[in-house]
Amino acid sequence: MTGAYCRYSLSYFNLFTRFSHLFLMENLLATSPETRPQPLNSPAATPVLRLTNIEKVYQTKTIETVALNQVNLTINRGEFVSIMGPSGCGKSTLLSLMGLLDEPTSGTIEVDGRPVTAYSDRELAGLRNLKIGFVFQSYHLINDLSVVDNVEVPLLYRKGMSGKERRQRALTALDKVGLSARTGHFPGQLSGGQRQRVAIARALAGGPEIILADEPTGNLDSVMGEEIMDLLLALNRQEGVTVVMVTHDEQQALKTERVIRFFDGSQVS
Amino acid sequence: MLRHLFTLIWNRKRANLLLISEIFFSFVVLFGVGTVLITAARNYLAPRGFEPTQVWRLLVRAGQGQKMPRAELDDVLRQVKALPGVQTVALTSNNLPFTFNTNNSDFIYKDRKSPFANTYDADDHYAEALRLRLREGRWFAPADDGTHHRPVVISQDLRDILFGDEPALGKIFTYNIPGKATKPEDEFQVVGVVDNVRMTTDFDEAIPSVWKRLIPYDTTHWETAAVLVRVAPDQGGVLQEKIARTVAGVTRQWSTEVRVMEDDRLHRRLYTLVPVVGLCIMGLFLIINVALGLFGVLWYNISQRRAEIGLRRAMGATGAGIGWQFLGEMMVVTTFGVILGSLLAAQFPLLNAFDLPAQPYLLAIGAAAGAVYLITALCAWQPSRLAASIQPAVALREE
Ligand SMILES: Nc1ncnc2c1ncn2[C@@H]1O[C@H](COP(=O)(O)OP(=O)(O)O)[C@@H](O)[C@H]1O
Ligand SMILES: [Mg+2]
Repeated sequence: MTGAYCRYSLSYFNLFTRFSHLFLMENLLATSPETRPQPLNSPAATPVLRLTNIEKVYQTKTIETVALNQVNLTINRGEFVSIMGPSGCGKSTLLSLMGLLDEPTSGTIEVDGRPVTAYSDRELAGLRNLKIGFVFQSYHLINDLSVVDNVEVPLLYRKGMSGKERRQRALTALDKVGLSARTGHFPGQLSGGQRQRVAIARALAGGPEIILADEPTGNLDSVMGEEIMDLLLALNRQEGVTVVMVTHDEQQALKTERVIRFFDGSQVS
Repeated sequence: MLRHLFTLIWNRKRANLLLISEIFFSFVVLFGVGTVLITAARNYLAPRGFEPTQVWRLLVRAGQGQKMPRAELDDVLRQVKALPGVQTVALTSNNLPFTFNTNNSDFIYKDRKSPFANTYDADDHYAEALRLRLREGRWFAPADDGTHHRPVVISQDLRDILFGDEPALGKIFTYNIPGKATKPEDEFQVVGVVDNVRMTTDFDEAIPSVWKRLIPYDTTHWETAAVLVRVAPDQGGVLQEKIARTVAGVTRQWSTEVRVMEDDRLHRRLYTLVPVVGLCIMGLFLIINVALGLFGVLWYNISQRRAEIGLRRAMGATGAGIGWQFLGEMMVVTTFGVILGSLLAAQFPLLNAFDLPAQPYLLAIGAAAGAVYLITALCAWQPSRLAASIQPAVALREE
């Protein structure tokens, strides 16, 4: 059924800000000591993304699909949020809205406190380039480009960056994901886990504030999946990168600060 | 970004090989057609070296198996000249401008050999009848009657070949027949030099030419006499009939035919225009074919690269940026094809193929490159717009 939709808690944001201490405590208790998330840097958390009353309806000739209904959500700087829920309930749709790749049917998305409708297409592209890193289930690497060239792609869209600096940044990002020895390889010569690490390096290369990962371990076996998850956690903690990750894996979700669950159209906390 | 596109295309060289070879062949075809057109146009625009307007050609034929005594022929020429509306009358050989008759030989002066040159017989009035442009010396005159060698006038191009920087007037040259002693009448003494002439068609280049003096009152008996008649403006059928009657008045045995040289010119140029137009049409169909092929390949490529497009949008490309990227890729592919094609095309001037000057080849290379870029840009335009309009969220959906 394409009619299935997810309902995010209307009051989630309010609840979270009011009882954030409680929430964090809960999380701290819920996770094992070594994977315990770091507390937020500032007591008054700064929102990176704020979604208010978001509705997304896909209209085709024959059917109308409500993919998102009345979603209210705030992502704060430095958070690691997982989104869980069954297939087809709008998780990817939510991520593409947060990634400024699509517009909601109604509701507002704010980036740094400014609604995205106030930005031109060109400015939105610039925001994506500067602030957002994407990681996909199927990696979406360009097969005809070497690993390092793939990682450079987001930097190509950054004005005024020299080729030398691009290369330097790409190599640094590859170093962070432990692929320094594979920079000249082509995606076809890498394992799934390695490809996903290239994709993460690509997301990192531009120095984003937030990484949006849509089932990043969905195509990987559990060992490789673990590796990727650890990498994302490390980036979150060491580099302070905000991460929003869609996952089907309970164990992974437990390692994150906040889990947004929904099931058959209604949110379960 | 340009370097990125080069990398992308270089890494995809196997997939792009088909495109590159299509562009290469298009370039070669356009280069070929371009060379033909540019050469024809250059020739067309070059000076003709004579004036065919208001010139008629009069062919006088003796009856079956008969010959014309020169005295009677001269009588005919005199009487035609005397007709009102006739300005000049000149006796010459059958190889008149814009006809299919040719007469050529190669010549030698000391160790300098000429290529095949058109040789004409011409009397003292020929230059005036065709309005040849004299550059050096003079045209034939009665003063030449007693000369030992055969007086000739040559065209500037032949003069350059045989004499180079040396003075030409008074020089004596001969047919290029190795090991054979030349008869005195085959020793040609230059009395004048005229501008290059293009007498074949409007689209042909000048051919080195030699005019040998027809000696008046010689004893030759002619079967057919070719006569150039320059007439006053606006002369037509009435005068043509008068000329025919004048010839008949001298002798009833001879038949006459009067033709307007301008008609010969227009008729003759069809023999160039028809094949050239045919070539252009064939080239056009070929190019349309290639263009449709390119168009299809580009559409297919874009449908194959939807995920890449979505990804680039997600990484910060604008829709317009994607469009420019695809257009740019096509231009890079085109550049590969054009470079390969130019390497081939450059061999023609380098190896001096077909004895043509280098300039038309170079112009044709430039024109073909320009046309190929234009064609591929036009073909890539619509697919690039399509690529630009792809919604990133849709392109990135994974099932
Ligand atoms: N471009 C689209 N056109 C029509 N329906 C769509 C489109 N994108 C998503 N949907 C529908 O919206 C719903 C949510 O999809 P999606 O966000 O991909 O779910 P999830 O990622 O949670 O599996 C699904 O029912 C899907 O079929
Ligand atoms: Mg999904």
